[in-house]
Amino acid sequence: MDVHDLIFQGADYHYKGDLDKAIAKFQAAVRVEPQNEYAHNQLGILYAKKEHFDAAFGEFQKVVQIDRRNTYALLWLGILYLKQGNLNQGFEKFQRIIEIDPANADAYYFLGAVYNFRHNTARAIEYLKKARDADSAEPDTHYRLAQAFHNLDMTANALLEYQRTLALKPSHTKAINGIGWIYYNRGDRDAAICQWKKTLKINPKDRDAIFNLAKAYNDLAWEARNHNKLEAAILYWKKTLAVDPKNKAALHYLKKYENREPEIGNRLRSSLR
Amino acid sequence: MNRRHFLKYIARSILGTSGLWLSSRGMAWGKSAFDYALEGQNLIAAKRFAEAIEVLKEAIRLDSKSDWAHGLLGRAYHGLDQKAEAVAAFREAVRLNPADTYSRMMIEIITQKPIPRLKRPARPLSPLEKAAKVEEEVMLNQLSPEGGLAYQVKRVVLDPGHGGFDSGAIGPTGLKEKEVTLDLALRLSRRISEKGNIKCFLTRTGDYYIPLSERTVIANQYQADLFVSIHINANENPKAHGCETYYCSERASSKEAARVAAFENAVLKYDEPFKKRPGYIDIEEILFNFERRLYWEESGKFAGTFQDYFQQTLPFKSRGVHSANFFVLRRAKMPSILLETGFVSNRDEEAKLKKASVREEIAAAVVRGLLHGRA
Repeated sequence: MDVHDLIFQGADYHYKGDLDKAIAKFQAAVRVEPQNEYAHNQLGILYAKKEHFDAAFGEFQKVVQIDRRNTYALLWLGILYLKQGNLNQGFEKFQRIIEIDPANADAYYFLGAVYNFRHNTARAIEYLKKARDADSAEPDTHYRLAQAFHNLDMTANALLEYQRTLALKPSHTKAINGIGWIYYNRGDRDAAICQWKKTLKINPKDRDAIFNLAKAYNDLAWEARNHNKLEAAILYWKKTLAVDPKNKAALHYLKKYENREPEIGNRLRSSLR
Repeated sequence: MNRRHFLKYIARSILGTSGLWLSSRGMAWGKSAFDYALEGQNLIAAKRFAEAIEVLKEAIRLDSKSDWAHGLLGRAYHGLDQKAEAVAAFREAVRLNPADTYSRMMIEIITQKPIPRLKRPARPLSPLEKAAKVEEEVMLNQLSPEGGLAYQVKRVVLDPGHGGFDSGAIGPTGLKEKEVTLDLALRLSRRISEKGNIKCFLTRTGDYYIPLSERTVIANQYQADLFVSIHINANENPKAHGCETYYCSERASSKEAARVAAFENAVLKYDEPFKKRPGYIDIEEILFNFERRLYWEESGKFAGTFQDYFQQTLPFKSRGVHSANFFVLRRAKMPSILLETGFVSNRDEEAKLKKASVREEIAAAVVRGLLHGRA
């Protein structure tokens, strides 16, 4: 069979999710044409999807031996190194891609992400901006850039990038949660709470949003209690429990104040006189 | 019949009558997008790519949602080796029809190697974009991108353990863990602030209770680079003494560490693990796991550095560094450690912990660990 037909059939099986048949087609393709980079790359991806990472690694390495400028194979080698926890090797692969293709958005993205993980924010911003400028259609590029800006308190930029993330992927709950913190730290708690509630509408089990809301309600409850507004405090602790039913602080303070509201209210009022 | 075979079939059948198709172009009136696309396909088969591009652009002008026309346009550009334009056209075809195997395959084949980029037209900035630009000019001028992959600490969240109704351990003469941890955190905060180049935040500044889950939320709120939870140890054995440092890891370093972590985790449910989708590689999951592993490794390094300074400078025996899968540390999105500076249940150590001078020594040792444990 013609190698192009084998490759097309393999790709078709791959996209339809029939990994075994796709592998068989691409294996046949590389038997006919051992130097076919695309077929080896596809085998690499397919093996990785089947969690045969050593085999995947071998295929991508073959591609790089055939043509060291094949940035797709280099990128996947970098990703597999990160999967192994090998920072330096992964980093080296992404850097090599940039040398070959100074406009490779994916390599910039991974370099930026790695710098973010090292909390080297200035470098992370430098690389993630390049990733964004090379390809602005990836929500996670905008999200990680937003995180880096947020880490430097550059909230206008962080907000802009979080919004760009959501324009591309409205269900990106981490971006919504990030916007919530910008509002919260600015003192706009209602807007923050709105954001985290929005997350819970998308994913009712989002633990970040649950704990963020619990913290916000507990803070409000504590402030209300300190201002002698016990009814409001009790309401907020109830709200805490509505999102986080095992919240130890809300359980405790609600138990302490709920049944003694009039008595404590009077005491607090008299102590303030 | 798949797309490519269909195209081959169409191409073969049309080639024989291409004259008719080409001549029909001159009749211009009443031609549909389909007619133009078919004509473009014909021209591609005849390797007249430049003409095909013109015809296919007309097809797209009439029907911008024709994935077929976009796919053909990609082929025409590819025929002229205009890779960036080809990829853009194939991408549009796939966007309109995700089942378009041929276009997907062509994108992957072409983008295996570098391709030139298309220029994007400039557009006016929105008010937020303008504000972001001004902010960036101001802020980034103050930053010099420091090289290297060493972990950087510019923000620390200190977490005085316990508080409010939860007094923590209580010593033989009544010293409460919650009071010592808060005092230590406040001393530490002052010392760190004096250094000027590290921002410091506290999970609590008074005697009130904060749940475990909220403590790491605060660390995440401030985008902290390091989370330090401060505790004082206690044991049923009144002779137990010394200081130790814990950090989060997948496996417990000892049975005792596993027991401590199991006790801490008992009241809390674990996060739902990533649900594995068969036949799918989740890049973000790979990055998440990699990030977590880096933070755990970094936590181990910080824990070692802190413990070294404790051993060198504090009037407590070093009990070493331990690791376990602590929920409270695991939810932090940064390296995180838990200090146990002495045993309040030990009469001698309780007496030491009452002294302001000893507390200052502990704070000084932590600051040294912080400054030397970072890049």
